[in-house]
Amino acid sequence: MIVSKAKERQDVINMLEGVKSVFLLGCSECASLCGTGSPEALAEMKESLEGIGKKVTGTFVAKTGCQVLGTKVELKANKDEVDAADAILVMSCGAGTQSMVEVFKDKKVYPANDTAFLGNMTRFQHFDERCSMCGECIIDKTGGICPVTTCPKGILNGPCGGTNNGFCEVSPDIECAWAKIYARMERTGELEKMRQIIPPKDYSKKMSPKVFVIEKKKEEK
Amino acid sequence: MSMKKLKEALEAGEFTITAECGPPKGTDIAEMLEHAKHLLGKINAINVTDNQSAVVRIGSLPVCRLLSEMGHDPIFQLTCRDRNRLAIQSDLMGAHILGIRNVLCMTGDHVSAGDHKTAKPVYDLESVQLLQTVAALNGGHDLAGNEMKGATNLYQGAVVTPEANPLEPQMLKFEKKVKAGANFFQTQAIYDMDNFRRFMDRARKHKVKVLAGILLLKNAGMANFLNKFVPGITVPQELIDRLKAAGKEGALECGMDIAAEQVRTIKEQGIADGAHVMAIGLENKVPEILKRAGIA
Repeated sequence: MIVSKAKERQDVINMLEGVKSVFLLGCSECASLCGTGSPEALAEMKESLEGIGKKVTGTFVAKTGCQVLGTKVELKANKDEVDAADAILVMSCGAGTQSMVEVFKDKKVYPANDTAFLGNMTRFQHFDERCSMCGECIIDKTGGICPVTTCPKGILNGPCGGTNNGFCEVSPDIECAWAKIYARMERTGELEKMRQIIPPKDYSKKMSPKVFVIEKKKEEK
Repeated sequence: MSMKKLKEALEAGEFTITAECGPPKGTDIAEMLEHAKHLLGKINAINVTDNQSAVVRIGSLPVCRLLSEMGHDPIFQLTCRDRNRLAIQSDLMGAHILGIRNVLCMTGDHVSAGDHKTAKPVYDLESVQLLQTVAALNGGHDLAGNEMKGATNLYQGAVVTPEANPLEPQMLKFEKKVKAGANFFQTQAIYDMDNFRRFMDRARKHKVKVLAGILLLKNAGMANFLNKFVPGITVPQELIDRLKAAGKEGALECGMDIAAEQVRTIKEQGIADGAHVMAIGLENKVPEILKRAGIA
């Protein structure tokens, strides 16, 4: 899921300087699981903003905030509340925030969260980054563990000299991706594969902004 | 005394000595040049580090050129941390036209280790791919396969950590580096000769030259620091005890003795093809270490 972190409250307050009334929008997907866009998070934000004299015209948790059309339809019921607000404060990821920018052409839209990374929830509300969406998955060659993401140097061909008893020299909290890859490929009997040199990555596949359109199959047309 | 250059010495099967020069931060290079002068005629080649430890310093390439003018055979250390594949290739071609003939290919310490921790690390390539890049340029084509007007002629080396833990993934990478075109290796500092022999037994299966990394121990505190904070370096307790026993005054002398003994052992027993002596700021002590080792 897309991991988001709540901005420091003071930063949000500074952002809302001159804004008297806000509409709060959360998201039931990732941001709810992260606790940054859940009904509880919205209630807390409402209380906090009202405490400093802002008017909260309404709150709503979108089903999937990054789904532009769906969210637009959902929000029709809240039209008056949105219209009454000087700004929309979006408590989701950056994609959800920009859905609102697209739907409400003339309304100020502000982000309450920082969007961090694509994460796996490995324990309750504990997220680990395993994939950095490089656009060219190579983990068939690396025992299913992504060195692009889980090695701070993104090394594709084995551990650097900083490998340290299974951990990384960059931080004792990081496991050495290549120690893990080796151990796993040894278990799965794929070490021979690890001898192949992986070529430089094609970073054109990571070039932003990206567009992806699923084409309809002929027979469906 | 005239010394053979790195490639010539290694190919002739001579016990080859390299040392290291770390460019300073700032433009006052008088001390660096003075140290380098001490090494003239005593070593076969001199490494010039590339923003070592991710700390900003003068670039390796211009310093290589200065040392070359002085009469040294410089080894251009090149990391992937600060340059993408365009910059890397243009620096490699630049090295060639400046008369530099050796390049040491490394991934490079992470920016988090250095003095600009908020910098964006590049790592467009890494050490194995960098070796392949040098091989491509030596063959007259760039990484994208475009033909070059004049190929490079660079003798390429790499690094390896014989004391890495776990060792097996490191050995696998060592083999990849050989396959990618490494002609020579300079190792991370080694202290335990038995461990190093075991490493060399495996390295000897490949047609590459290996220079053992000899890091001058300045005192027991430094040895303890290496053990505690530097992955891949293990100083045996016996050496730490010797440094301690030598006292404050005698520690450096004792460290020089230890380094000299290591070089002598490696040479006399033919364990490796040479030694890479790292004195970190005390390059002026290298000639004396070599003298005590029975070299020069």
